[in-house]
Amino acid sequence: MDSPVSNGAGRQTGSLVVARSVDEVTSETFIRITADGSVTAYNGHVDLGTGIRTALGQIVAEELDVSFARVVVVLGDTAVVPNQGATIASETIQITAVPLRKAAAQARHFLIARAAERLELPAADLKIEDGLVRGHNRSVSYGELIAGEEIRLELEDDVAVKSVGDYAIVGHSVPRVDVPAKATGELTFVHDIRVPGMLHGRVVRPPYAGVDAGPFVGTSLLAVDESSVRDIPGVVAVVHIGDFVGVVAEREENAIRAAEQLKLSWKPTPSLTDLADVETALRANPSTPRTLIDKGEVDKAIAGAARPMQRTYVWPYQMHASIGPSCAVADFQDGNIRVWSGTQNPHVLRSDLALLIERPESEIEVVRLEAAGCYGRNCADDVTADALLLSRAVGRPVRVQLTREQEHAWEPKGTAQLIDVNGGLDADGGIAAYDLATRYPSNAAPTLALLLTGRISPDPAVLQMGDRTAIPPYDYDHMRVVAHDMAPIVRASWFRGVSALPNTFAHESYIDEAATEAGVDPIAYRLRYLKDPRAVDLVNAVAERAGWTPRPVREDKDGEVVHGRGFAYALYVHSKFPGYGAAWSAWVTDVAVNKTTGDVSVTRVVAGQDSGLMINPDGVRHQIHGNVIQSTSRALMEEVSFERGAVAAREWGAYPIIPFPDVPKIDVLMLPRPDQPPLGVGESASVPSAAAIANAIFDATGVRFREPPFTPERILKGLHGEASPVPQALPAPPASRTSRIWESPFAKRAGIFATIAAVCTAAIGLGAALLPGRAIAPIARPDASVYSAATIARGQELAALGNCAECHTSLSGASSAGGRALETPFGTIYSTNITPDVETGIGAWSYPAFERAMRDGLHRDGRQLYPAFPYTHFARTSDADLQALYAYLMAQPAVRATAPANTLAFPFNLRPLLAGWNALFHQTQEFKPDPAKSEQWNRGAYLVESLGHCSGCHSPRNALGAEQRKAYLAGGFAEGWEAPPLTSLSHAPIPWNEDELYAYLRTGHSRYHGVAAGPMAPIVRDLKALPDRDIRAMAVYLNSFNDTATEMPDALAARLESATQVTVASSTGARLYQGACAVCHEVGGLPLFGSRPSLALNSNLHGATSDNLVQVILHGITEPVSSDLGYMPAFRNSMSDAQLKELVTFLRRQFAPDKPAWTGVRETIARVRSSTH
Amino acid sequence: MTQTPIRLTVNGRIHEVAAERQTPLLYVLRNDLALNGPKYGCGLGECGTCTVLIDDAAARSCVIPLGGCAGRDIVTLEGLGTRDKPDVVQQAFIDEQAAQCGYCLNGMIMTTKALLAQNPSPTEQEALAALRYNLCRCGTHVEILRAVMRASGQLTEAAD
Repeated sequence: MDSPVSNGAGRQTGSLVVARSVDEVTSETFIRITADGSVTAYNGHVDLGTGIRTALGQIVAEELDVSFARVVVVLGDTAVVPNQGATIASETIQITAVPLRKAAAQARHFLIARAAERLELPAADLKIEDGLVRGHNRSVSYGELIAGEEIRLELEDDVAVKSVGDYAIVGHSVPRVDVPAKATGELTFVHDIRVPGMLHGRVVRPPYAGVDAGPFVGTSLLAVDESSVRDIPGVVAVVHIGDFVGVVAEREENAIRAAEQLKLSWKPTPSLTDLADVETALRANPSTPRTLIDKGEVDKAIAGAARPMQRTYVWPYQMHASIGPSCAVADFQDGNIRVWSGTQNPHVLRSDLALLIERPESEIEVVRLEAAGCYGRNCADDVTADALLLSRAVGRPVRVQLTREQEHAWEPKGTAQLIDVNGGLDADGGIAAYDLATRYPSNAAPTLALLLTGRISPDPAVLQMGDRTAIPPYDYDHMRVVAHDMAPIVRASWFRGVSALPNTFAHESYIDEAATEAGVDPIAYRLRYLKDPRAVDLVNAVAERAGWTPRPVREDKDGEVVHGRGFAYALYVHSKFPGYGAAWSAWVTDVAVNKTTGDVSVTRVVAGQDSGLMINPDGVRHQIHGNVIQSTSRALMEEVSFERGAVAAREWGAYPIIPFPDVPKIDVLMLPRPDQPPLGVGESASVPSAAAIANAIFDATGVRFREPPFTPERILKGLHGEASPVPQALPAPPASRTSRIWESPFAKRAGIFATIAAVCTAAIGLGAALLPGRAIAPIARPDASVYSAATIARGQELAALGNCAECHTSLSGASSAGGRALETPFGTIYSTNITPDVETGIGAWSYPAFERAMRDGLHRDGRQLYPAFPYTHFARTSDADLQALYAYLMAQPAVRATAPANTLAFPFNLRPLLAGWNALFHQTQEFKPDPAKSEQWNRGAYLVESLGHCSGCHSPRNALGAEQRKAYLAGGFAEGWEAPPLTSLSHAPIPWNEDELYAYLRTGHSRYHGVAAGPMAPIVRDLKALPDRDIRAMAVYLNSFNDTATEMPDALAARLESATQVTVASSTGARLYQGACAVCHEVGGLPLFGSRPSLALNSNLHGATSDNLVQVILHGITEPVSSDLGYMPAFRNSMSDAQLKELVTFLRRQFAPDKPAWTGVRETIARVRSSTH
Repeated sequence: MTQTPIRLTVNGRIHEVAAERQTPLLYVLRNDLALNGPKYGCGLGECGTCTVLIDDAAARSCVIPLGGCAGRDIVTLEGLGTRDKPDVVQQAFIDEQAAQCGYCLNGMIMTTKALLAQNPSPTEQEALAALRYNLCRCGTHVEILRAVMRASGQLTEAAD
């Protein structure tokens, strides 16, 4: 069987179709057989990754007696498939396949009758093999029987289908038809559709993330500043309707940039329901009770219970969490509108789209393509509507890809659920009564664009969806079940197991609690109340397979890690109440609970299922595996976090799903029931999960957990109460070493006389308000050709050493043309143009003027320059080097550019005061080598101290902005980054040494310290211009301020790294680390492209402030020293300030356990977020 | 804005791509070179669906700018094999039916490729650790792990 290429219509002259008339003009085709013998089957449901395309092909091939390979199954294209509603509730095989099967059988009956006529043989004498009808050495094919005729059969309801005993294809495992194409990149997912002339769109969602009801929905957008994206090439349109906002661009990366950069003004969102405490929020949500069953005398039985037992079970908000954010393409042409969509419900979507754009449904075709698995309602429909709005606006096909953040925030959630059970035990230990009330605030989640554009009212619909499997499978004498129907609190819709999974969590936890109270084995106790024979068979079979030992009384377990075993059972009853059952399912699961860390491992699951007839047994097995793994993940770790009522989890660190190492061993037991009708298997095996795990945790620990997910924090709280210890990594061994403060060997001593002189100078300067220096006459721009190539080349090296272009180039301007804003504690200074432009640059500067600027900090016209320009260092440069630098600068292209005026506060805006400053802090002498030191040391000192001006950033500054002489290279602050100490004051856990300094300055990376980022990255990049011997000399010099390490760095590194490995997701911060950071940073992972900086050794984790860490997390590393080092993404659009604080605090505690916690992290995050660096 | 085309080798063929240097490689592979194997999953390097090989190392193409790929050798899922002639890892995934929706499959196969290049006979524990940061939502982990062991020649018995 092949994946479909087209709908197969119109290729051959003749065909046989089996169709059903819907009305006078419309009919729906189920089967088409063409004269060439090919078979096409049409089904209104879609394959969500479960393999139903394959299973439906098997059913058709079986009933039609053709080979499986001959059948093409077309799913979900509204132009050709029957409208069979949404692909939900595990209905495809159980319900939707029924007419298809009948249609295939009907076609076979027709063809065999015709063959009998043609071959003049009784039908009973004929056999069919792959569409070839044979009898008495004669044969005729289906194609020949059809030939040029157009045959249409009206689908009959009463068609004889094959008996199970005759099955040759159904009931046998068949490899899925889609896997080879998926494994080779040949399958076209909806994400891969490309239409000629297609543009790329992105949407921008409102600030009320994940909330779709309330008067502010669709009415909150105040203004759109289209000019804010004008600089982005290829932006075709900015579209906004109500609160719907989208951008369209020629290239995808530019659409992304535009969506990020577009300035929007929103009304403040009114306060939303606080979801920090889900139970309280659900109890307060208005509801209407609906009694599903009321049998016996419940109130009386409860009043008379020997041991009353009132329990509350709380289910968290969870995500479908599709791996691929939703995507769609739309092509709006007048009267011919096409969308390519990953929707779960093509026909429902088509009517939504018709409503949205006010066009008849008949003009719209929804072509359904495979997408990332959805497990319920994700954003597939939303994005299709978004694409249609954008395509309509620009008149061209538009592809819209939602971001990960948008899918996380806006997908309709699997809702939180609250289940109260009142009841108790009678005197015999039986269930006296069972009174269950369930609250499930969810609806069908209207397609978002309808709400955002105001096409439909944002009043939430109340649907009756909380009743799935709300009635327990147990035959209690006195039983009442009430569903409190309620509107959603945040956007929510069906998610695998719908309300049945939480309802079953309550049923199966409660009966386990009752069995414990009664002192009866939990399985034996259930069997007292379980009357359904198939259920009883399944429960017994699973218990036997798992080797269940009856356990009337729980045994206490010793040790740090305790083991336990739990059981749960469910018949998943779905669809509109009272609904009907899908497959029966039961779990026996083993867990290991670490009582110190709170970590729960699900080590093994025996999952039994009675699915009736299994069309494709391997497919059923894979669905059971998938359900077991996904529902284990949901029970152990999944919970949506909210901030001020809006969805806060926007990436995989904030919403983790189960990773490979945590997946349990799974033993699948499939009961053979070939004589029973096939049942849905897409969800059943999920339903017992959470209860089985909670029951096993109880068996292990003796503590009952009634609120998933069973995270380490919850377990510790359950075991030890509120004051449970926070699990922490063992403190790393502190690196033992001395540290001392170094004095600058070069800085000027500002004695008392100098100070007095300086104050006098300043006073004179101020009083006279005159230029303190004389102007040096302008010259004609020097002819650079008088300089030798070698001199210019040397000047280029020196310019690189001085990192001149970095400060003298604005973010988007020409190199060295100035205009870069330098934030100082005194205000903003804009760097000047140092290209040889005569009017705006230094083209009119003679060498003496240049030299005076470099040595004395005076402009050619005599003005004082601010010491943000590090002339205090440049003064030490040798004459020859200054001349070479001058030559190089004059040889560069002249750029005309005037820098903005500085914005300095009084009195710093008074330049003459700088004369005093210079008197205090500046000396104009050239560098003098220290004869006591080696030539290499002196060379390093010269490079570092003159043009290199390292201490400009790496030494602290005093109140007047001068480097502190007595704290040489002791660490400073520059451009929003901490410039760490370069001496033995270094916070790095492994002391610097000459080789590591060399490696870092040469490559931008030191194994023991990390990579150069922020302002240091361009510096190291510039240093590439210098020869190795100069870099070595700098390393020698800098290393002379460090003490010799007592321990070999590799041994210390190994010790630190092993002590700080993250093994337990013990907190929000730890989970953010594991989801977002660990892939590139956890020690021992698979090597990825680029470096793998170890956080235990990273200087930024050990620094005095959190600034550098916050900088790299928010802004990433997009321009590393070299691409070999790899890149780091920016997380500013993916994590909230609160999440970042959790992460940063965790990283500090985990990887620098011997350092004090940082203070003011939240303020640092806010500051760095708003800065441009 | 004018761009100097950036030259890179993809699946053995040299391409000159005129796009901004900061464009993530993923979009260039998908939109300029029409390679559908690598998929967008998170844009943060967290989930692994976009994995390609760059100079033989697994790389998350959603966070690597085009500028960093100049002169490098890139291999995508399409570069391994085709439906008619799949590579040994692809064949192992097909044999083990190691896909449900299949969206994560590119990352699983490419990461397995990188793992086996480094460690031709990984233990199950090593395979689990190597795939630790490749996310699958359908729960295909069991079949994927078997596929890795099969691709490394360590699984000879038929699937149970």
